[in-house]
Amino acid sequence: MAELTELLEDVVSDVDAVVLFSPSGSYYERFARVDNLDVVVIAPENSVGADNYVELPLEFENVAQRIQFGIEGAIDEELVNEGDVLACVTGVFGEGVDTVSRVRSDAFTHTGVYELFAESRAPAEVIRDVFELAIELGRKGQKGKPVGALFVVGDAGKVMNKSRPLSYNPFEKSHVHVGDPIVNVMLKEFSRLDGAFVISDKGKIVSAYRYLEPSAEGVDIPKGLGARHMAAGAITRDTNAIAVVLSESDGLVRAFKGGEMVLELDPEEY
Amino acid sequence: MRGPKVIADGEGILRGLDPVTLASPLQSVPDAVGELPGVLQEPWVLAAFVLVIGFGFGLLMGQFNKRLLTAVGVPEAVEGTAFERTAQSLGTSTVTILARLSSWFIYAVAIIAAINIAQLISTENFWARVAGFVPQAFIAILIVVVGFVVADKAELLVSERLRGVKLPEVNFVPRLVKYSVLYVAFLVALGQIGVQTLALVALLAVYALAVVLFAGLALQDFLSSGAAGVYLLLNQPYGIGDEVEIGDRRGVVQGMDIVVTRVENDGEEYIIPNRKIIQEGVVRIRE
Repeated sequence: MAELTELLEDVVSDVDAVVLFSPSGSYYERFARVDNLDVVVIAPENSVGADNYVELPLEFENVAQRIQFGIEGAIDEELVNEGDVLACVTGVFGEGVDTVSRVRSDAFTHTGVYELFAESRAPAEVIRDVFELAIELGRKGQKGKPVGALFVVGDAGKVMNKSRPLSYNPFEKSHVHVGDPIVNVMLKEFSRLDGAFVISDKGKIVSAYRYLEPSAEGVDIPKGLGARHMAAGAITRDTNAIAVVLSESDGLVRAFKGGEMVLELDPEEY
Repeated sequence: MRGPKVIADGEGILRGLDPVTLASPLQSVPDAVGELPGVLQEPWVLAAFVLVIGFGFGLLMGQFNKRLLTAVGVPEAVEGTAFERTAQSLGTSTVTILARLSSWFIYAVAIIAAINIAQLISTENFWARVAGFVPQAFIAILIVVVGFVVADKAELLVSERLRGVKLPEVNFVPRLVKYSVLYVAFLVALGQIGVQTLALVALLAVYALAVVLFAGLALQDFLSSGAAGVYLLLNQPYGIGDEVEIGDRRGVVQGMDIVVTRVENDGEEYIIPNRKIIQEGVVRIRE
C-alpha cells in the first residue's frame, strides 16, 4: 500500500492551500493543527469556527459547481490568490469526506456565481430561498407537466416601475415572504400564474402576474433560450435585481445577474 | 478546615496549658475560660469534636451532592445559560456552586452547634434564633441560584420558540421572561429569610413602572413609528414600486417594515421613520 500512497501523493504535493467542504469539527481540527498549511472551510455555516470561511448558500450536488463556487468565493474574499494550486476535499457520495481533487484556482472562467449570492441587493438567505423555491417547483411541476417560472429578486421598486400587471396582484396587501412555510403550500398555485414574481430585498413577495418591460438591448444570453429567459436577462441589466428562472422546456433553473447568465442547476439533482 | 484542626490538635495538651493562651484564638471567651477552667473541659472537647465531624460531613456531602447533581444531568440542563457561563468564566460551575452551598450549610450548622455546646455566649435565645435563621438563609441562596438558572433557561426556551417569528421586536420578550422569573425568585428568597416583602413588592412595582415609563419616553419615537407602521402595513396606502414624496424626499418605495420605510431615488436611499409619514403625509406621484 505504501506504493499507492506514493502514487497518489502527486494530488496533494505542493498545494498552496487546502479547501475543506463542510468538514466535521474534528476533521477540521486535524488540518488546522498542521503548521504552514492554509485551510479554507466552505460550508453552509461556520460550525467549526474556522478563520478562513466562505458561506455555501446552496448544497450544490454537482461537485464541479460546488468547487467552482467555493473557489470563486475564496478568491473574492481574498483567502486564496488567483493561480494558487488548491487541494479540494469534499464528499461526492453521501455524507462525509471521500474525494480530493487538485484544482488551479484560475482553472475556471469567472462566472460571478459567488457575487450572485454575496454581493446582490438581497441577502444571501433570500436568494437561497428563491432558489429552493424554483428547484422545488421544477421537481413538482415535472410530476404532471413541466412548468416555468420567473422570480425577480431585489430592487423591487425599480422592477415594479419597469413592469406592468397582467392581472390583479394576488399578493396585494399580503405579507408573504419567500422563506415562510406557507410558500411551500402555495407552490402548486404558483405554477398556474403567468408572468414574473417580484420579490423585495427583504424577501417579501411583492407581486405576481408582472409583465416585465425592460429594454432588451445588449443582453447576452445563450441562444435557444426563450422569451422568459430573455426577459429575465434584460430586467437584471436594467435594474440591480437578480432573476431566477425555471425553464418550462428543459426544466433547468438558471440565474441571471447584470444581464448575464451566472448559474445553471438541474432541479432533479437536488 | 484550618480552624477545627488547630483545636483538635490542641485537645491533647489542653490540660497542661495556661487557660489564657488556650483561649487566645477565640477572643470573646477569655473570662469564661479563666474563671471555670475545670468545668469547661467537657464542652470544649465536645464542641471541637462536633466541629470536626461537621466539617468532615460537610466535605463529604459536598462531594456527594456534586456527583448526584452530575448524575441526574444538571450540567446538561444548565448548559448555555448565562449563569453557567459566568460561573465558567470564574473557574467554577453551577454544580460546584450548588455542592459548595450544601457543604457550607453543614459547616455553618456545625459551627453553631459547636458554639452552642461550648456555651461561648449564654444568651440561648439569640443562638436559637440564629440556628433557625441559617437554614432559611441557605434556602434563600439556593432559591436565588436556582432562580438564576431557571430564568436563563426560560429565556433560552422562549427565544427558541420565537425564532420562527420574523419580527425583530420580539427579542424583547425572552428577556422580559428572564427578569420576571428572577424577580419572583428574589421575592421568594426574601420571603424565606423573613424580610417584609410587601413594601419591597410595592417598591419594585414602582420601580418597574418607572422603568416602563422611562422606556416609554425613550422609545417614544419607536413606538409611534411602530404604531404608524402597523397602520401602513395593514392599509398599504402606498406599495413597493410607487413613486412618492415624503417631506422633501422623493423616490420609489423599495420596502417597508414596522418602523421604517425605504425610499430610493437615483443613488440615494432614504430610510424614513413611519412616524414622519403619518405626520407629514405622503404625496403619491401619478404622472
